[in-house]
Amino acid sequence: MAFEFKLPDVGEGVAEGELVTWHVAPGDAIEEDQVLAEVETDKALVDVPSPKTGTIRELRFEEGDVVPVGDVLVTIDVEGEEPDAEPETTDASQADAADVEAATKAAESEADATEAEGDETSATGGRVFAAPSARRLARELGVDIETVSGSGPGGRVTEMDVRASAEEAESETTTSDSDSAGETAEAASDAESTETPEESQPAGNGQTATRATQVQAADREQTLATPATRRVANEVGVDVNEVPTDVTRDGEPFVDEAAVREYAEAQQAAQAADTEALAGEQEPAAATGAEPTAEAERERREPYKGVRKTIGDQMERSKYTAPHVTHHDKVDVTGLVEAREKLKPRAEERGIKLTYMPFVMKAVVAALKEYPDLNTSLDEENDEIVYKNYYNVGVATATEAGLMVPVVDDVDRKGLLQLSSELNELVEKARDRSISLDELRGGTFSITNFGAIGGEYATPIINYPETAILGLGAIEERPWVKDGEVVPRKVMTVSLSIDHRVIDGAEAAAFTNTLMEYLEDPTLLLLE
Amino acid sequence: MVVGDVTTGTDVLVIGAGPGGYVAAIRAGQLGKDVTLVEADAFGGVCLNYGCIPSKALISATDVAHHARHAERMGIHADPAIDLTGMVNWKDSVVRRLTKGVEKLCENAGVELIEGRAEFVDEHKARIVHGGDGQGSETIEFEHAIVATGSRPIEVPGFEFDGTHVLSSRDALSLDTVPEKLVTIGAGYIGMELSTTFQKMGADVTVVEMLDDALPGYEDDVARVVRDRAEDLGIDFEFGLAASDWERTDDGMVVRAEDEDGEISEFAADKVLVAVGRQPVTDTLNLDATDIEPTENGFIETDEQCRSGVESIFAIGDVAGEPMLAHKASAEGEIAAEVIAGEPAAMDQQAIPAAVFTDPEIGTVGMTSEEAEQAGFDPIVGQFPLRASGRALSMNDTDGFVRVVADGDSEFVLGAQIVAPEASELIAEMGLAIEMGAQLEDVAATIHTHPTLSEATMEACANALGKAIHTMNR
Ligand SMILES: Cc1cc2nc3c(=O)[nH]c(=O)nc-3n(C[C@H](O)[C@H](O)[C@H](O)COP(=O)(O)OP(=O)(O)OC[C@H]3O[C@@H](n4cnc5c(N)ncnc54)[C@H](O)[C@@H]3O)c2cc1C
Repeated sequence: MAFEFKLPDVGEGVAEGELVTWHVAPGDAIEEDQVLAEVETDKALVDVPSPKTGTIRELRFEEGDVVPVGDVLVTIDVEGEEPDAEPETTDASQADAADVEAATKAAESEADATEAEGDETSATGGRVFAAPSARRLARELGVDIETVSGSGPGGRVTEMDVRASAEEAESETTTSDSDSAGETAEAASDAESTETPEESQPAGNGQTATRATQVQAADREQTLATPATRRVANEVGVDVNEVPTDVTRDGEPFVDEAAVREYAEAQQAAQAADTEALAGEQEPAAATGAEPTAEAERERREPYKGVRKTIGDQMERSKYTAPHVTHHDKVDVTGLVEAREKLKPRAEERGIKLTYMPFVMKAVVAALKEYPDLNTSLDEENDEIVYKNYYNVGVATATEAGLMVPVVDDVDRKGLLQLSSELNELVEKARDRSISLDELRGGTFSITNFGAIGGEYATPIINYPETAILGLGAIEERPWVKDGEVVPRKVMTVSLSIDHRVIDGAEAAAFTNTLMEYLEDPTLLLLE
Repeated sequence: MVVGDVTTGTDVLVIGAGPGGYVAAIRAGQLGKDVTLVEADAFGGVCLNYGCIPSKALISATDVAHHARHAERMGIHADPAIDLTGMVNWKDSVVRRLTKGVEKLCENAGVELIEGRAEFVDEHKARIVHGGDGQGSETIEFEHAIVATGSRPIEVPGFEFDGTHVLSSRDALSLDTVPEKLVTIGAGYIGMELSTTFQKMGADVTVVEMLDDALPGYEDDVARVVRDRAEDLGIDFEFGLAASDWERTDDGMVVRAEDEDGEISEFAADKVLVAVGRQPVTDTLNLDATDIEPTENGFIETDEQCRSGVESIFAIGDVAGEPMLAHKASAEGEIAAEVIAGEPAAMDQQAIPAAVFTDPEIGTVGMTSEEAEQAGFDPIVGQFPLRASGRALSMNDTDGFVRVVADGDSEFVLGAQIVAPEASELIAEMGLAIEMGAQLEDVAATIHTHPTLSEATMEACANALGKAIHTMNR
């Protein structure tokens, strides 16, 4: 009988993983420890090795599926054991029966899904059901309410739906990656130039029309069409007045749904051809996608899962669990800038790129030693505050997959150069997603450098269950009063968020003051 | 007033102080605009002075007498006398109170009121012409203008309004005695409301209508309830006749009407009331000074935001198109003001209710079943007859029904038709249901006060779901 390989616990506390890639196919011979699949969990991509040597019998999930830990991922005919010749053995047939059931279920739910979709488009007869308050909100947010899919009873469009749609539209048109991962997401250790959005402009009617070189667009003033047809036209981004038709009703040109769809498809094809011609070697997604619909351009749905969802869950938990208070201040870091300038070439000689971050980390640790309340977590179960006598500092890092916080352990015991190289390495790993779960865990305090992208103050969200996070603004030359005179100085803003359950505002301010002393005069760190 | 021309400036010039104009002016004032409201005749417009309010005042007053007179079954024996002069005086006091109120509200919102007729000089300038010649005029420069000039009754050729024999609805609301014999031309809502009232006052009313039923535009079963009641009251209906002319006689007048074969019928009368519809007023405005081109029917065409084709000019209310109803005018007034103030407002309401204050009343909102079907829905209908309503029985008024139309798939409420006492009030709930995207269950499962007519609405919704308690479920 085949060995059923269940998705193991790929990291502590991980309940499920998304199957990203299969490295094997049924019939493949495999060795023990050979990689079967790549699974994206909680925070990282994990290779799942085979526990046995043998032949792959059946893959139970498809790429893109979310697999709960403990579910059978793959069955393997183990070498040396007898492969069941007869699938009709009791066990196997049971398994098969289960499969069939699962399959029908899946088919059913699929059918349900399509039905539900059908509902949305046709049953409402071209009408959007939404309260006046939701309509008004849509107008305020510049959302065409006809394009919002409703989550309320019967498909009613709620205020939440409108907001979600507005946010979606916004994130589609602003940045393509590093989307709003809470306020800390802006954290990047290097300034990343924000990429220009490549696409995702709503398919304006005019736009489609001008592109559609191969489809003869009609150009009527007025066209009869049922509301349902108009809705479909709206969805596929077609102006009914442009849809060619010979049919008339009451003497007016009449267009039905089929005509609209036909025209939309023709336009799509034409547009795809245009794009191809324009882009040459650059493969246009629309041309290769299975069914390029204009709807897909108007809005795009991405599963909320994996790293994105982890970030979201984490932010949500933090924000809703820990009452945040943020303390803002400014510090003259001219001394720090000079110190770094001085040390930079030395570091370079050893092949290390010295940033400000290691200095800040050292300063933070020095201040934490004076204010241990900020190097804590709250054990809610036991009603105890856990004071950490070690200093593991997480540094928020923007990656393509979203925000990650790699942790540098024992910062108090490491020198600037070591911190620098460790941090650079961790950031690199986070970016190419080779970072291990261990390297993302165990932090006691976090730093986010939102200033790297630009911004004076932000409200960092605490990396729960830690109780404090330091946000750094950009270092800029500003007028500064020193000894009664206004002089240009290098000034940095800092924003410290604390969990007010554990830490009080006065303490936060005191910590910040101490931290600023170290930043102002880094030579103080030598005393550490 | 100063003789000669004076020029002043304003952010928003509102032309016409009916329910469209005065509401627009108040809202614009609330939003911090410098607003000038110009009215050529009477603040409050048709609605407050010659329309909704006075007609409803007379209808309600008359019903007091009517109910008392027909309450023998309830053990009341009375023969009230109607003193029309007294009634009209009371009605005028109501109107005065309301129109004064409108002026106060405008002033409180910082709106400057000007009496006079506004006509466009160009798309940013209007001249205010004051009554009489040689009064001088002033010119107002405006950033935006809102045209709210309303509508006036349509005249039937051969029946020019003279206020004594040939009456407009406005004249009819200010008579000092009840005519013995009244001929009403037109069985639309205004004709039906006034005919019913005069019949109840003691007049002998004949309604002459070109089409073959009363209340054209309403569903047959809805109109039938009202027509039957009107006939019970003693109103004669003459359908399929077009009024052609009239003549004075020794004891009044004779009204002639012609059927489609050219056959003439004659009706003796003291007065004839012409209520064949209303037409938009644009000829007071010198629209030629702008690029606005009224439609074939005389309306100023507008978009969802009440904008006319001309950037600086908005139009609202009766002059901006059907339905010519006061609440539509007011809603548009708010929208226009908000849009001018830069807010993202738009007339995107799903339904505009309408009420007819006949006996019983009619209230409708949204789609009929047929309209829903045409719009691509698969409608389901629920109905509740008033004779099954405890409240209707206890009011001794059981003709009519509440009908609700919903989408069969999603069960969203799409429309309602109510013929019942207080239908004008009952319809509000269904309007809210439609705007909120309520489903039948939402209304059916809302607890309604007992004993009230509103329970009929709840039951109609339940009926559509096959679970009404007090009527057979289909
Ligand atoms: C008998 C009757 C009963 C009615 N009952 C109802 C009812 O029950 N419910 C309902 O909703 N509706 C009812 N109506 C309709 C309602 O009165 C109108 O829909 C409403 O008044 C329209 O409002 P408006 O602001 O567009 O214009 P109006 O109320 O017509 O006001 C326009 C104003 O503009 C003024 N004007 C015109 N030109 C100029 C100018 N150039 N310069 C300055 N001022 C100018 C006019 O003098 C007028 O006062 C009834 C109408 C009548 C006649």
